[in-house]
Amino acid sequence: MTTAAPVPTSADGPRRHRLIGWALIAPALAAVAIIAAYPLVYTVLVSFSKSTLGRPFQSWVGWGQIVTAFTDGGQLASILRSLEFAVPAAVLSVVIGLVIALSLDTATRGGRVVRVIMLLPLMTPPVMAGVIWKLMFAPTGGLFNDLLAGAGLISEPVLFLGASPAAMICLIVVDIWQWTPFCVLLIFAALQSMPREVYEAAQVDGAGVWRTFRSVTFPLVLPSLVTVLMLKVIVSFKVFDLVFVMTSGGPGLDTNVASFNVYRTALQQFDLGAAGAQTIAFIVLVTIVVLPIATWRSRLLKAGSRA
Amino acid sequence: MSESTMPAESFGRTVIGRAPRAAARRRGGVSFAPRWTRALKSVVVVLAAVFFLLPIAYLAMVSFMRPDDILSDRVVPSGLSWQNWSSAFDRFPVVDYLRNSLIVAAAAMVIALLIAIPANYAMARLRAGGKNIMTVIVSAYVAPPIVAIVPLFILVRKVGLMDSLVGLSLVEGLMVVPVAIWLLDDFFRNVPEEIDEAAQIDGCGPIATLVRVVLPLVAPGVVAVGIVSFILVYNDFLIPLMLSYSESTQTLPVGISLMQGGREVMYGQMAAASFTGMIPVYLLALFMQRWLIGGLTQGSVK
Amino acid sequence: MAAAATLLAAGTLAACSGGSGSTTSGSKTLRVLIAAPQEGAGKALQADYEKSTGTKVKITVVPYDQIQTKAILDAQSGANQYDVIQYWYTSVGALAQADALDDLTGWVDKDKDIDKSDFIAPIYNAYTQYKGKTYGLPFDGDTHLLYYNKKILADNGVKPPTTWDEYLADVKKITDANKSKGIYGAVMMGDKSAFNIGSTFFNRLATFSSSPIDSQKPDLTSPAALAAAKSMVDAAPYTAPSPSQIGFDQALALFLSGKIGMMEAWTDLGTFAQDPSQSKIADNWGAVPLPAGAGGKTAAPLDAGWALGVSPSAPDQDAAKDFVKFATSKAENLKLVTTTGSGVDPTRTSTLESDKYKSFTPVVAAALTQILGNAQSWPTSPNAPKMIQSLNDNLAQMLQGSLTPQQALDATEKAWDAL
Repeated sequence: MTTAAPVPTSADGPRRHRLIGWALIAPALAAVAIIAAYPLVYTVLVSFSKSTLGRPFQSWVGWGQIVTAFTDGGQLASILRSLEFAVPAAVLSVVIGLVIALSLDTATRGGRVVRVIMLLPLMTPPVMAGVIWKLMFAPTGGLFNDLLAGAGLISEPVLFLGASPAAMICLIVVDIWQWTPFCVLLIFAALQSMPREVYEAAQVDGAGVWRTFRSVTFPLVLPSLVTVLMLKVIVSFKVFDLVFVMTSGGPGLDTNVASFNVYRTALQQFDLGAAGAQTIAFIVLVTIVVLPIATWRSRLLKAGSRA
Repeated sequence: MSESTMPAESFGRTVIGRAPRAAARRRGGVSFAPRWTRALKSVVVVLAAVFFLLPIAYLAMVSFMRPDDILSDRVVPSGLSWQNWSSAFDRFPVVDYLRNSLIVAAAAMVIALLIAIPANYAMARLRAGGKNIMTVIVSAYVAPPIVAIVPLFILVRKVGLMDSLVGLSLVEGLMVVPVAIWLLDDFFRNVPEEIDEAAQIDGCGPIATLVRVVLPLVAPGVVAVGIVSFILVYNDFLIPLMLSYSESTQTLPVGISLMQGGREVMYGQMAAASFTGMIPVYLLALFMQRWLIGGLTQGSVK
Repeated sequence: MAAAATLLAAGTLAACSGGSGSTTSGSKTLRVLIAAPQEGAGKALQADYEKSTGTKVKITVVPYDQIQTKAILDAQSGANQYDVIQYWYTSVGALAQADALDDLTGWVDKDKDIDKSDFIAPIYNAYTQYKGKTYGLPFDGDTHLLYYNKKILADNGVKPPTTWDEYLADVKKITDANKSKGIYGAVMMGDKSAFNIGSTFFNRLATFSSSPIDSQKPDLTSPAALAAAKSMVDAAPYTAPSPSQIGFDQALALFLSGKIGMMEAWTDLGTFAQDPSQSKIADNWGAVPLPAGAGGKTAAPLDAGWALGVSPSAPDQDAAKDFVKFATSKAENLKLVTTTGSGVDPTRTSTLESDKYKSFTPVVAAALTQILGNAQSWPTSPNAPKMIQSLNDNLAQMLQGSLTPQQALDATEKAWDAL
């Protein structure tokens, strides 16, 4: 699969160097082959066959399972639920991240302390993050319900994880808690790298805060924002741990996102074939969402380097 | 230069907090903002700090609550106790879980770096692999890991590494390779060409150049990416959930997930065990912060 | 920790007195996969078995909803982590088909010590049989009773209900009057993982049906099925919040804390309720058979329920069988059933009839003997894991309000037909 890649064009390196180059890349390519190419091939094969976890590849069944994955209401719904989770979670993380990054001033001691604090959610293993927030959302003994009840605002518990659409919103909140710091750090770095002259020019022009942001800061930082957004969307599509710990896909199937649905199909119903087909439908969705953002990003980057 | 907006660089630099202090000072000097925006900024920052810190503080509190209080409606516990901690450590092999987590994360980090560094060097300095190789490698990271779980499970079983720390570390290590390569790319590309040329004139072959000349220059980047890799593996759940069965290989996230589904509500024990698992990475975060500020001057790749 | 010499000595002694022909010795370790709710039983068994045979036992505890996956993966992976596997009986077909359980027919039929006729017949048949072969022996015979908090019922002038209509009225009455104090008429296990919501439904299905449930494929198009589903939806708003988040661990904690009027639960709840270290309602609870639906009669729905089987990859089949025999024996069942926290319920007629059990938990024993004649099994075919999951998914959506009872049953029926 890799030998077909174009041979490096730089003529300066002698042949031996090129060989050494390939030898140095080979382990990395082997890694990619093992963790990505092989699973993909396996997934495709399995989705065309009747396969259980106990007995894979019992017989070939053609396109049936793939068609089901793309047309069956329940399966399609789980794919759309991934979208329902990933897009708001990513957009909000980036927006909130931008606001915090604009407000953060690491020249002050307080700013530096906050930056350390922000590392903590990012470092928290998602399983533990799920445990923490599940405790806070719990109907009996949970922090939020206790606070609301203590303040006399509610007479019976709010079902944060047991009602719709509250459960999905709660998952998004936890995801924002965990990943906004990441966005802040990236956006903050992008802001730091912006040329100071532009600000000075804007200041000389007498531009207000909002105008400076809109006409100077935002356009300059936009490519970075889109990059962060792309990363965040990719990360959000991977969500599994939070769902596993906090809702198990419930209430009903309201938080049964695609990755969790694939897990259930493969490892609780043991139906590898259907799981494979669902996986393919999921990959198609991720590609459909990520590709335009990636294109947007490279267009912005190109425009930026031309200017 | 557009490179500065590359995620790789900003990720490498900022996750480890190496946002150049000089730049911060410089920007701070441009004080065109009126007073009300500064007040607003302070409010935002304080709110953010509370939002990010509150859940962790709550977890700490729950871990010290009496079991009776946890399921009651009180916000402030009636008293503190070590009961959850002792019960978590007595009833669950938390120490084993923690040890496994640390071993796997460290081993996977080493594996990932050993594979990534030569590849990064070859791509950035020897221009091996052509333009698209990076895309190929990075796209391996885009796919959700659930895709790979069953095939990898079958592979690991075939090679007889099921339920072993070796198998788990290998798979985790390979899984992080794409991220590591992606993050390291800029560090390698920022080493000036002349350095390689000078090394070659001195008679160094490519490998000697990598080890003796380039590696010391990118060391800060390697450390940073190493830490990121460590944390990614340490925090992972899905792969250890699939590949480890017994107490001798289960990692802390898996162990904590096992505390659900028993006959009792183990909130307190889960809080204590979770906190135990968070301490190492939190220490790492604090340690990194210090390391980075101290290493600012020597860390500059340019 | 006993010294190795002691273990060896014990092993030799056991080999002399054993008589079952097993060649176990002190140097071997038997690896047993146990579900978390039976952790207490696992630990007790480990001690008993080590003491009586000298064979070392290593228990691995897994959450109940992961145990089938672990068992199948273990068989498939060749990891061979376990010799003896505790399985939820509904997966007997799936496990047998996936070669994760050994066919024990010949051994069970031949070995007189097992005394298979002493097992409660419906439990034995449901738990162990697939295509006429025997794949395990019953370990934990689970069924539900209706437990109640005497004080809460008395304070509200309510008697334990005998029909689901009465149940609904009572729950509503208690909740309406006491909600502000955090007291609810009932707690409903509506968590969709594995057997919480499924038990709640099956309790009603079994008691609304006039005829036995077809364990291959329960008839969801029947009026009884619809009435069962409806009775869940009707009661849910008056039960402790929120059913869809309540698994048996939360339900148990709530009931034992004295805040719940009624709870459908397994027979071993009695032992928890009577243990003052965990329970605030010791001597203040009662248990009766489940209410009956219109046109139905009370029943013993086989909710959850566990058997022990032997892994085909176990290196020493005889040793593994010996452990299964020991763990499911009359003596051990009686012992575990009368141990607080073991999580084990009667599987044998001899246990039910023993004075020890009757005096240990008289209320439960009395209720249990009334209903076992009408035991109703969940599906056990190889498709059962999928059937149960789609049923639970649809029921969960029903509780949450996005499906009506009729829609939930129709969707399930459709999914079952597609299998």
